Amino acid sequence: MELKFDIIKKFLHQRYPFLMVDKIIEFEQGKRVVGIKNVSTNEPYFQGHFPEKAIMPGVLISEAMAQTGAMLFYDENKNESTLYYLGSIKTRFFKPVFPGDTMRIEVTPVKLTRDAGIIQAETKVEGNIVAKGEFSFKAAL
Amino acid sequence: MPDIDMNNLENEIKAIVSEVTEIDPKQITLEANFVEKLGMDSMMALEVLASIEKKYKIKIPEENLMKIINLKQTIKIVSNFLNK
Repeated sequence: MELKFDIIKKFLHQRYPFLMVDKIIEFEQGKRVVGIKNVSTNEPYFQGHFPEKAIMPGVLISEAMAQTGAMLFYDENKNESTLYYLGSIKTRFFKPVFPGDTMRIEVTPVKLTRDAGIIQAETKVEGNIVAKGEFSFKAAL
Repeated sequence: MPDIDMNNLENEIKAIVSEVTEIDPKQITLEANFVEKLGMDSMMALEVLASIEKKYKIKIPEENLMKIINLKQTIKIVSNFLNK
């Protein structure tokens, strides 16, 4: 199943310039999510990171993985949009991400409970792994 | 299923708890309360559970999360699932 941007926007609370999932191309609730984040030259952070060479900040690659991961909790039968807080992240970056790149973020759960979870994410650009991470998060009360 | 080496199990689980809580294994006694003595929160408890599942290739259902209150209880739960 695919999820369009309007659905993502209903579920995730992040907004410009911090919403980092453009679309979900594969979705199996609680099992697997593949998200797309297109990195544009107009991203506001490229003004400062870095003025002489635009490189997507690693923490924002992490953020994109975490947001895609939160989509694992999306349930089309429920009109809910819970806020999720990150508990911990463990990330490794392999290659830089530049303007024009399309990040394909694949997320699978390590352990999910009703209101919390640990997920694994892998980000690829043109088939090459650029980052991997493990994130734990919990629904806000 | 071979007999479980309880001493080994204790040390391995202690190492997992120590890694997640960043507390010296010496302070993680059998009875030390995870929340009160080791400052563990629900996210850390989930991380401990996930690490245990990965290490022993077992699945421990969510309802056991509340029972992880000290090392002794954790070992008890894990050995129950290892024997299944």
